[in-house]
Amino acid sequence: MAVRAQFENNNEIGVFSKLTNSYCLVGIGASETFYSVFESELSDIIPVIHASVAGCRIVGRMTVGNKNGLLLPNSTTDTELQHIRNSLPDNVKVQRVEERLSALGNVMVCNDYVALVHPDLDKDTEEILSDTLNVEVYRQTVASNCLVGSYCAISNQGGLVHPKTTVEDLDELSGLIQVPLVAGTVNRGSDVVGAGMVVNDWCAVCGTDTTSTEISVIDSIFKLDPDGVHKMKKLKGPLIDSIKAS
Amino acid sequence: MVLYNFKKITVVPTAKDFINIMLSKTQRKTPTVVHKHYKISRIRSFYTRKVRYTQQNFNERLSMIIQEFPKLDNIHPFYADLMNILYDKDHYKLALGQLNQARHLIDNVGKDYVRLMKFGDSLYRCKMLKKAALGRMATIMKRQAPNLVYLEQVRQHLSRLPSIDPYTRTLILCGFPNVGKSSFLNKITRADVEVHSYAFTTKSLYVGHTDYKYLRWQVVDTPGVLDHPLEERNVIEMQAVTALAHLRAAILYFIDVSEQCGHSIAEQVKLYESIKPLFTNKPLLVVCNKVDVTPMDQLSEAGREALSIFEKNNVPLLSMSAVTDEGVMEVKQQACDTLLAYRIENKIQAKKVDSILNRLHVAMPKTRDEKERPACIPESVLQKQRLVELQEFKKKLEKNLEDELGDDYILDLKKSYDLPEEFKYDIIPEFWNGRNIADFIHAELLQKVEELEKEEALREEAGYYAVPKIEIDETLREIKELAQKIRDRKIINRNESRISRQSNKPTTPRTAPAQARGRSATDFRSRMEDLGVDMEDTDEAHFTKTRGRARSLTRSQSRTNAKKPRLGSMHRSVSTSRSQSRVPRNQSGVRDSSMQLKLKQVAHKAIAKKVKKQGLKGEADRFIGTKRPKHLFAGKRGIGKTERR
Repeated sequence: MAVRAQFENNNEIGVFSKLTNSYCLVGIGASETFYSVFESELSDIIPVIHASVAGCRIVGRMTVGNKNGLLLPNSTTDTELQHIRNSLPDNVKVQRVEERLSALGNVMVCNDYVALVHPDLDKDTEEILSDTLNVEVYRQTVASNCLVGSYCAISNQGGLVHPKTTVEDLDELSGLIQVPLVAGTVNRGSDVVGAGMVVNDWCAVCGTDTTSTEISVIDSIFKLDPDGVHKMKKLKGPLIDSIKAS
Repeated sequence: MVLYNFKKITVVPTAKDFINIMLSKTQRKTPTVVHKHYKISRIRSFYTRKVRYTQQNFNERLSMIIQEFPKLDNIHPFYADLMNILYDKDHYKLALGQLNQARHLIDNVGKDYVRLMKFGDSLYRCKMLKKAALGRMATIMKRQAPNLVYLEQVRQHLSRLPSIDPYTRTLILCGFPNVGKSSFLNKITRADVEVHSYAFTTKSLYVGHTDYKYLRWQVVDTPGVLDHPLEERNVIEMQAVTALAHLRAAILYFIDVSEQCGHSIAEQVKLYESIKPLFTNKPLLVVCNKVDVTPMDQLSEAGREALSIFEKNNVPLLSMSAVTDEGVMEVKQQACDTLLAYRIENKIQAKKVDSILNRLHVAMPKTRDEKERPACIPESVLQKQRLVELQEFKKKLEKNLEDELGDDYILDLKKSYDLPEEFKYDIIPEFWNGRNIADFIHAELLQKVEELEKEEALREEAGYYAVPKIEIDETLREIKELAQKIRDRKIINRNESRISRQSNKPTTPRTAPAQARGRSATDFRSRMEDLGVDMEDTDEAHFTKTRGRARSLTRSQSRTNAKKPRLGSMHRSVSTSRSQSRVPRNQSGVRDSSMQLKLKQVAHKAIAKKVKKQGLKGEADRFIGTKRPKHLFAGKRGIGKTERR
């Protein structure tokens, strides 16, 4: 079941944290409340690490990674890089990339096998991405938004994308990523799905504003509860009734 | 989220308060000082401002009241009807209409008196006009007293109405009084409504909220309804009827099968029949309550017969007991399910679902290659889940540590390093510009520093750095002292000359007042008295006969020792002194002719100097300060004004 959390009264927790199957980065905040949410869920299984990138707390938007590796933007300082390197297990590759679009988390999204990237991404970055994270890379947009990282949250089991994504786009994206996808919202109707939640194969964390209907969609599409995708059929009624037609 | 918020209407003051508020506001916010010697236009504008300001305030306040109260034609018919029942639509509309009328009247009064103010020709008249204007406005307001009182009551009642959203998922509970509607509401929501064993415990609408299927459901409890014609129904019953008529909701009709409410099952079914028109096109459930007293299989023959009508009409009949909780959840679930199905069907019919179709679609991937892409969930996750289930999982979190230590807590980033324990807290040299500073440190640096320090110590010992002492003999010291004195004197001189140069003013300015006289008769007298001399009877004493400073020709008449008249001259009266002409200026104070000559030469020289300086011809030359005075030469010229003289 997905957990609700808040970073210093901010619901966009995907901005301040990065969750993968082999590690979790959390921005350094004023108090440890936010960190402890992840710590209690994950710390026995994977390392949960305090981190900053270029002196900023927005680690989730600045980095991209999966169980195989982690890409950091060029603005990461040497000390930060060393701290992350020391904290991560040795089989996770850490790489700094020279990319003009330095908010890597906004322009790329990946699970352990596939990555979607911004259409204007540098060729070299794409190469480094596929080598470091060991993924197939596709240049794509989500609901005609270039910032695929902001509008997508995917794991190896499923994915949640921008609520305005059409059915055809959904099918196409699902074919590329090879996981079931659904269009939806987090944080009481926010369409920046990637910023509103973080997810890996067995755990999800979303903002405190997220409604119970949204949570149940997240649980079922990411297979966080035993019922899995089949539950989506049961959710159909509540969904129709709760979503205001726009 | 709330569509209708009647809680935000501002308080309506009573007529007396209203007038006080307005008048004191005028007093506070407009100027208060005026004098009768002011120009009349200023006095008029002073009072006009007061009148106009008061009128504007009245207008604003009344407009606010009129605007804030809900318009019966614009709100949802449920609320419109409810307000009609509770407050009487005609009365409500009339009250607001009359306030509107009063606003117009006040505006007109203000306008008239502002116009009249033009004819006020004194401060008093203007003031009387203002007084009359404000008085008339207050009178108009005083006539609205009953309306204001009524509206305040309405406001207070409105703000206490339950906030029912007419558009959301709603269950309505209805039936005879005392059949257990409120008990059911208390069971499925946290509303905590009053429940008693007498009829009409519930006198108005109540709302509770419950959760089912990830959604929020609004449950409306209505007062009991009796079986008589609509015209005979009272206010309490009519509220229930309004809710039934206007809310598109699932209706739960409660029947008391134990007949403890005082009405037989047949009567209750009859009521159902008579208010049936209100249930059309709505999901409907009939709930048999209090089955703990009379179970369904022990019903009387008449009761069973009466209930059979529901089976005939395909109305679902459920049984429950609020006391034993038997069947309560089933009733709630069935009601919610039917309502949800009904609402979804409506939405689909209205073609509202098309725009959200993508949200309901789960895109399943088409396999594109043979590659396996399994999820990677570590074994420890499952272990942990088991531990959590057994409640054996307890760990001290960073947050607990922070709470324990309070202000002493410092975030330890190195604690979680994936390194052997002995390396974790190694001091690592800093990176600078992408280079490890440690790489640039010489291997034998410390050794070299030590060597250098030793060398330095040796040098110091050898006296390499010692400063040679200089001996000073007697003469040298004298010279030094003298030099010091000279330097000091020079400095003093420099400073003095600087000070003297700074002030180049004359020592006594021309504007300085004449020095006060050092000696005077009164001064002398008091000083002598201080010394102990008896100064009485000295009014005629010589020292009092001082000459005044003014050069008057008439001297004191009381002078006794006047000049003796010359012998042989004509006797003159004592009172008249001889006429004396003044000495000419150029001769006064001149001793003899040689002195006069000398003075003449001095004067000539002074004049010559002045002539040279100012280019004058002589002392008598007319001197004109400004040749062309600006006021005579600038600007427009009238006829004959060009010449100065």
